[in-house]
Amino acid sequence: MLATLSMVARSLARKKNRTIIIIVALTFALTLITVLPSSINARQSLTQRALDSLIFSADLLKDQVTLSATEIECSYPITTTLSMSKGSSLLEDGTLIDIVLQDTMSASLSANIASLTDVVDVVPMRIEWRTESQLYNIYGIDINNDVFQKNPSILPSNITAGRNLQAGDRGVVVIDEFLAKNAMPDGKFETQEEYEANIAEWQAKEYVFNVGDSFEVLGRKFTVIGIEGDALNYRTNGVTMSLEDLQSITSNTGRVSSLKVFVNDADNVNSVVARIKALDSELVVSSGFTQLNTVQPLQDQVASLIVVAQNNLNHVRNIGLAEIGVSIVAVVSVILFMMLYSVRERTREIGTLKALGASTSRVLCQFMLEGILLSVVAVVIAIAVSVFVLPQLSSLILPVPIQEGVALAWDANGVMYLGRTTVGSMPFLSGEAPRVIDASLGVGWLLLSFGLAVVLGALGSLYPALKAARTKPAEAMRYE
Amino acid sequence: MNNTDLVLKIENLTKIYKLGKKNVTPLANLDLDVKQGEFVSVMGPSGSGKTTLLNIIGCIDRASEGRVFLNGTDITSFSESNLYKIRRDNIGFVFQSFNLLPYLNAMENVELAMELSGKFAGQRKARALELLSLVGLGGRELHRPARLSQGEQQRVAIARALANDPAVILADEPTGNLDVANKDEIIRLLLELNVKQGTTIIMVTHDEQVAAQTHRLLYLQGGKIVKDKQQKINVGILS
Repeated sequence: MLATLSMVARSLARKKNRTIIIIVALTFALTLITVLPSSINARQSLTQRALDSLIFSADLLKDQVTLSATEIECSYPITTTLSMSKGSSLLEDGTLIDIVLQDTMSASLSANIASLTDVVDVVPMRIEWRTESQLYNIYGIDINNDVFQKNPSILPSNITAGRNLQAGDRGVVVIDEFLAKNAMPDGKFETQEEYEANIAEWQAKEYVFNVGDSFEVLGRKFTVIGIEGDALNYRTNGVTMSLEDLQSITSNTGRVSSLKVFVNDADNVNSVVARIKALDSELVVSSGFTQLNTVQPLQDQVASLIVVAQNNLNHVRNIGLAEIGVSIVAVVSVILFMMLYSVRERTREIGTLKALGASTSRVLCQFMLEGILLSVVAVVIAIAVSVFVLPQLSSLILPVPIQEGVALAWDANGVMYLGRTTVGSMPFLSGEAPRVIDASLGVGWLLLSFGLAVVLGALGSLYPALKAARTKPAEAMRYE
Repeated sequence: MNNTDLVLKIENLTKIYKLGKKNVTPLANLDLDVKQGEFVSVMGPSGSGKTTLLNIIGCIDRASEGRVFLNGTDITSFSESNLYKIRRDNIGFVFQSFNLLPYLNAMENVELAMELSGKFAGQRKARALELLSLVGLGGRELHRPARLSQGEQQRVAIARALANDPAVILADEPTGNLDVANKDEIIRLLLELNVKQGTTIIMVTHDEQVAAQTHRLLYLQGGKIVKDKQQKINVGILS
């Protein structure tokens, strides 16, 4: 057997150029066969993960909206301007806008609202959208008012490191996890040399900003006292500090952009909303009740997204299976025609082998081994190619299942909805967008792919090998 | 068959081909006995049945009628699928165009015949070296056919034919593709094998000078042996 294999290898090596071309063609087809199934699986699990996250987030949103049913938020309408700048917001229709909150709210308005029947507390807030170096929001909250202790939802929630803000805090901030991981350390290094020497090590850390680090906001250094985990609230991607600090660093002493109003009972919310609007008709007043009404359409959107994702995935799987089918036919055909040509070309050699006493099975075995060896060499190269360049190949040979992702957005009245975005390739709500398909090849599949190549090699060479084995030696010896 | 020193006995051999609607009979009721150690040359015009006779003796073609005994075994009774064993164990072929496998070197070409009969690698290698030395190719064992002269290639083919100690060597115009010097060398080698080792050889040739150097000359015409002449070998050329 070893001697036959050596003979087969040398026979292939003799026609070097032809063998190389055949192996390249087979490698291409076998690479597709090796890569596609794991790519399909990876997309399937990625879609599932994204959908799970979407469902979880929608449920969380519903819970949060239900919890905040006794809260009312008042602000003057957001002014928007069309923009293409980094950090601009993306509306549902694809328009990029800059959002500016008006901060002309008077102290007397706050006092008037506080005096309304059924109103328990009023907390002034200021929100800044910053786009200088990267997009983040700054939330200034009046934490001198002890109401926040009774209504913790106005403060960052889900503190994963350090502590939350508390009464009397000045010069400190709570930053969210995304910012902690991704913010450029403007205030961290004193000199350019220090920046260049330490930036790589700094970015390799799990959090580039940790509790105790200095975080620079609008030129002023603050100490990070807490990290806010992914809590799916409107503080996502933001820095929270005391209202006084924010007013001070933006030179807006006394100016607030919104009021958070707490009502004694959810049943009284609509009545309080009406009375606030009566105080100032220009005010945009949104309540937890209003937001509760948006939950059902939002859940409908999630359901429709699941169907879209599933359809897209089925489409991708069908394309993948078709590509595998074509590749299998290609491998078998290439081997079949190459071996048929080889048998014809080597008729006299077959005659000689038979005259020397080679049995039918020996000739069959030799020619089948040639086909199998070609396929095996090609699949070994294909596996190496697949392992090393899989991510690139993966997105090249299969279409990305969903071109649009979804993200939480707010309309001009501050009402939440699921907006579409082209940022990621899959639906996601928060955290990292899965840009690269994480397809990994299991050893099991590699072995299966190897076995498949052997079978396809055998299948492709079976007919030519039978033809060779059945050749009559006397006729073969006469062949010119 | 009782005569034990006969290597080959052919009784009433007929071969009929179909050529379109016509029957062609290259061999008709042919009888032949060849003794152990004979060097027989077969001559005759084209189409007289020389190669057909050789192919039937060599089991690469089947007789239509009659019987062929090789070392006492009736090879006409063997099925097509078992004839390869007779070829492998009893016949050594030498072809006009050598028919060496181009991707194997001289030693591997000789070993191939033994590999087909299931001999072990060590045994094959030793025997191949011995045979290549016998045919005067010691030191050129690792050369591929393309790097050997035509005379040398035919020597490798002769060494290959001897590999399994066959009962008979069938040579189909072994000097047909060779120049005069190489032709003489190959005939001298075949004679040497015949005289010194007692190898039985049946050789088809068109060359009267070559045929004249064998024990026995058969002349075929119309599928029958029309002349069967005993000759004296000139052993002087072997020294």
